[in-house]
Order: sequence, then structure tokens, then C-alpha cells
Amino acid sequence: MIFWEIAKRNIRLHFLRSTLAMLGIVIGVVAIASMGILGNSLVATVSDSLSSVGDSVIVFPYAGGGGGFGGGGGSSENMKITDQQFQQIKRAVAPSVAIPVLSTSERMKVGVGGDDIVASVYGVDPKYLPDLNFELSAGSLNNANSGCLVGSAFAKDNNIKVGSRISMGTDGSKGTLRVTGIIKERGMSFDISTDNAVIATQAWFENTYKTENYDEVVVKVKSGQDTADVKVVIEKQLNKRDKVVSVMDSKATLASIYETFGAVTTFVTAIGGISMVVAGVSIFNIMMMSVNERVKEIGIMRSIGTQKKEVMSMFVYEAAIIGVIGSAVGGILSLVAGYAISALMLQSTKYLFTFATAFSVFEGVGFGIVVCLACGLYPAWQAANLNPIDALRHE
Amino acid sequence: MLFQDVAKVYPLPAGDVRALDGVSFQVDRGEFISVMGPSGSGKSTLLNLMGCLDTPTEGDIYISGTRIGDMSDAELTSLRRDRIGFIFQYFNLFPLLNIIENVTFPMMLKTGKGVDPERGREVLRAVQLDDSLFTHTPTELSGGQQQRVAVARALINNPDILLCDEPTGNLDSRTGAGIMDLMTELNRNGTTIIMVTHDPHIAEYSRRTIRISDGRIVS
Repeated sequence: MIFWEIAKRNIRLHFLRSTLAMLGIVIGVVAIASMGILGNSLVATVSDSLSSVGDSVIVFPYAGGGGGFGGGGGSSENMKITDQQFQQIKRAVAPSVAIPVLSTSERMKVGVGGDDIVASVYGVDPKYLPDLNFELSAGSLNNANSGCLVGSAFAKDNNIKVGSRISMGTDGSKGTLRVTGIIKERGMSFDISTDNAVIATQAWFENTYKTENYDEVVVKVKSGQDTADVKVVIEKQLNKRDKVVSVMDSKATLASIYETFGAVTTFVTAIGGISMVVAGVSIFNIMMMSVNERVKEIGIMRSIGTQKKEVMSMFVYEAAIIGVIGSAVGGILSLVAGYAISALMLQSTKYLFTFATAFSVFEGVGFGIVVCLACGLYPAWQAANLNPIDALRHE
Repeated sequence: MLFQDVAKVYPLPAGDVRALDGVSFQVDRGEFISVMGPSGSGKSTLLNLMGCLDTPTEGDIYISGTRIGDMSDAELTSLRRDRIGFIFQYFNLFPLLNIIENVTFPMMLKTGKGVDPERGREVLRAVQLDDSLFTHTPTELSGGQQQRVAVARALINNPDILLCDEPTGNLDSRTGAGIMDLMTELNRNGTTIIMVTHDPHIAEYSRRTIRISDGRIVS
């Protein structure tokens, strides 16, 4: 159509001005889209490093009160969960499984002449291992009394294979454990962080460290039960008189982490949005200029039979061309910018080519086009509604 | 075209101005009329009303039997496009379009399609413009050539009336005479022409003259 042609030619005639307006839109789109990409990559990075804990509730001894039992205050045995408390938890959460976990950190040595290393040591009864859903990269769960499982990072760093022996304690004072299985990388976890740990049996742990009380209880919530409900039940049962345990709901914690990141992403995207507003103002400005310098032309068009909506379309096309080209260029550049930011800030670009990235770019491009059209609409409307007689007389 | 007791009143803060007052006349098909009068006489107002750019405050105007008084803007616009050809003093071609595009512009408005070069060439030949200029832009043409293009643009939709506002006012007398010869020829071939001018020499080309003063027809 002829008005499309006129719009194109007018942009070409005012090439510099149009290019500058496009540049504004490009910057706006890049700001919004690349911030979106950064936010998405950030969330992806975090969720990748957190293990898929599933639905679990973790019970820790309450650290703040100084101890309600025996009033001893400060003794480390008071900062544990007793077997009696564990039984209470177990009954309260049924049919979900409550798993008592012992933990400490220990000095150890792998092989002859190896360096001393320090790692976490957990004591878990082998009968609960299936409930913890460990995936093994080698070996088996079959955990004999002096056997242990090790995490992937720990195994890799210390060159451990199934069958390797680890002498525990300074100079092997705590005996030797034989590795029966290696657990795949799980990332940071709320219950048991296995990646850099040794998982021994409960019996070995109790024998070695002469303890009967637990450091935490992991409750694997069965489907059909709600983690929030389980948390409440446990708190009701154990914290009747005094607060003796703190209970963490993995799902709620995860949700609040994501919520925080979501808020951060929204915030930085909104900052990007400011540059889009500025771009919109410049589009508005050049469209007003375009209308004002063509008042006479509009008058001629109207007098020889051009409808209002046709005049309007001519200016809307002009804004649309600037918007679509600017946004498209911005979309492409935002991938580049997203790549650069991800590489610099997260040291990783593996989260770049995802649906979330595509959505961020789409969002930026879409917003750019909408802003251009919105800012072109009023000038176009003004042009269409000029009085043809006055417009004709305009010099 | 029929004007019946037409008045146009412009409300101004200092009081209403009756730019036209009780104007009645009729233009028959095939006529060549000039409208003359000093500035401020109501010539421009009359031209705007004849061109359907404005509607009367009082009285009725009929164009080809259609009353324009209570038409919507879109209807008036279509009427201008289909029934009236405009020729301006300053040619008023579109600088962004080439000659063929300028000429066929009203046709594109009417059909909603692209350039029809055949029809464009036909009309440009009718106004005696050289073929080699058809793809040039208006600024590359002389004043006389531009006005010929403007005439061709006015004729493209076969209008009932050709409305001219000082068509030679911006041309030297020799070129102006050329344009007037073209007008005369178009009129001889059946085109109705109404021409607003203050130049008595130009008015001589027409067959009837309406003189206007202070918003009234004097002769």
C-alpha cells in the first residue's frame, strides 16, 4: 500500500534521526532482555547447585535456647536430638519416614602417604539408605559395618574408587572404612550434603564417637502429605513446653529462595525498563516532529480524499518500522549481551539457550514494539485529526 | 452543483463573522466558471465549501444531487476523492512520491491497490507531459510541469468537478497561459471547471464569472 511506501521513504529521508530513535529502542530491549537472561541464568545456576531434595522436612536441635532438658546449657549432648525425641517424631510423621542422622567432621587420610584431609562424616543406618534416594555412580548401597559411601567431589579430589580404604582420625585412630559406593553429584542439600562427605553406618558412628543422640532427623514426606503440615505436627509434638527443635521445610525454603531471586530479576528488569521509557519518549519526539513538519502534506492528502484512518496508518507504520527493526536488532544484541554477562558474572553460559532465555528476549522485543506503537499512536492520531483547511494553509 | 441560500458563520471571541451570507447559485455540468473577488470577500470560504472541506452553517449545498450538509467526515472525504479534483496554487505534489505515484495517488485511495501505471500514463499524456519525466520526483520538474502533474492527479478519478485555486498564481504568464489552454481543452472535452482567481486575464478563459464581495454574490 502507498502509505506503507511513504512511511518507509520518510524514514529513509530522515535516516539519522530514525536510526537514533531505533538505537534507543535497541538499548531498551537489550537492557530488559539481558537483565531477564541474567536473572534466569542466576536462578538456573542456584537450582542446579541445590539438590533435588524432593519433599523433605529436616529437624535440628534448637540452637537458641540453651537447653530445656536437664538445664545443662552448653554441653554438646544437649544440642542433639535424643532417641526419645526421635521416636516422638517418628510417630508424629507416620507414614512418612523419619531418618536419624549423626554427623561430625573428621580428619582422615586416603591410601598410604596421602595428605590429611578434613571432611564431613555422617552416620546413617543402612536400612534408611533407600529412602534417601542416593544415586550411585559406582558400587552399591550395600553398606557393611565398616563400609561407607562417599560423595562424588570427595571421590574425585582424592582419587577414590570402590574398594579404596580411608583411615579415619589422626593417624587412623578411628579405624578404617572401605568405600562400597560413590554417590553421584547432588549439589548443596538441605538434608545431607553428600558431595564432600563420607557416609558411614550409624553403628560405626555410635561406636567410634560414643554417642547415642542424633544431630538431625530427616523426614522424607510421602506423597499425599504436605511438608508444611508435617512441620507443624513436629513442632506441636516436640516444642510443647520449650522450643527444643527447629524444623525446616525444604519445599518452603526452596520456594522462598526462588521467590527472592524472582524479585531480584524483576527489579533489575524494571531498571532496564527505565531505558525503554526513555526510548519511548524519543520515539514520541521524532513522531511529533514527523507530523509537525508534514502538516501541509497531511492537509493536501486530506483535501484530495485521504481518510483520517489512512493518514493515521501512515504514521503508525512509521513507528512500527522503527519499533520492529530496533527491537529485532535489540533482540539479537541481547543474546550477545546475555552471553557476555553470564560468562562474566556466572562464569558459565550453559543456561543461555533455554526456554527462559527465549522468553526474556521475546519479552524485551515485544515490549519494544509495544512501546514504539504506543508512542507513535498519539502523534498519528493528532495528524489524522488535523483540520484539512488549516493544514492546507500551513506553511 | 447547487448552492441554496448558503451562509457560513465563524464564531470568534469578538463576535460572529459571516464569511458567506445568503449565497445561491448553480453550476451545470460542462460549465467553466471563475469566481472572483478581493481578498477577505469570502472566496476561500466558498472554495472550501465547494470542495467539501467544510459544511455550511445555513442553507444547503448539493453536489451531483447529494446534500453535503450532514455528511460525516469519512463520507465527505470519499466525496472529495471520487467527485472532486483539486488544483492548488502551489501545485502541492508529494515530495516523497515520483510523478506516476503522485498522479495515481487518489486512484490508489479509491481502489486500495498499488500504482496503476497505465492509467497514470494515459492521464499524464492528456495533460501533455513528456514521458521521460514520469519516474522523476516533483522537485526535479519546473513549475509548469508540476502544475500539469497536479492537473493529471486531479483528473485521475474522473471527477465531476475540477476545483482550481489560483492555478496560475505561481507561474509566469507564458506558462500560466499554457495551463489555461489545457484547462480550456479539458472543458471542451466535457470537464466541469470552477476556478477561483483574482486575475481578470485568467478569468477571461472562463465562460461565466461569479463576483463576490463581503460574503455576497454581486454579479
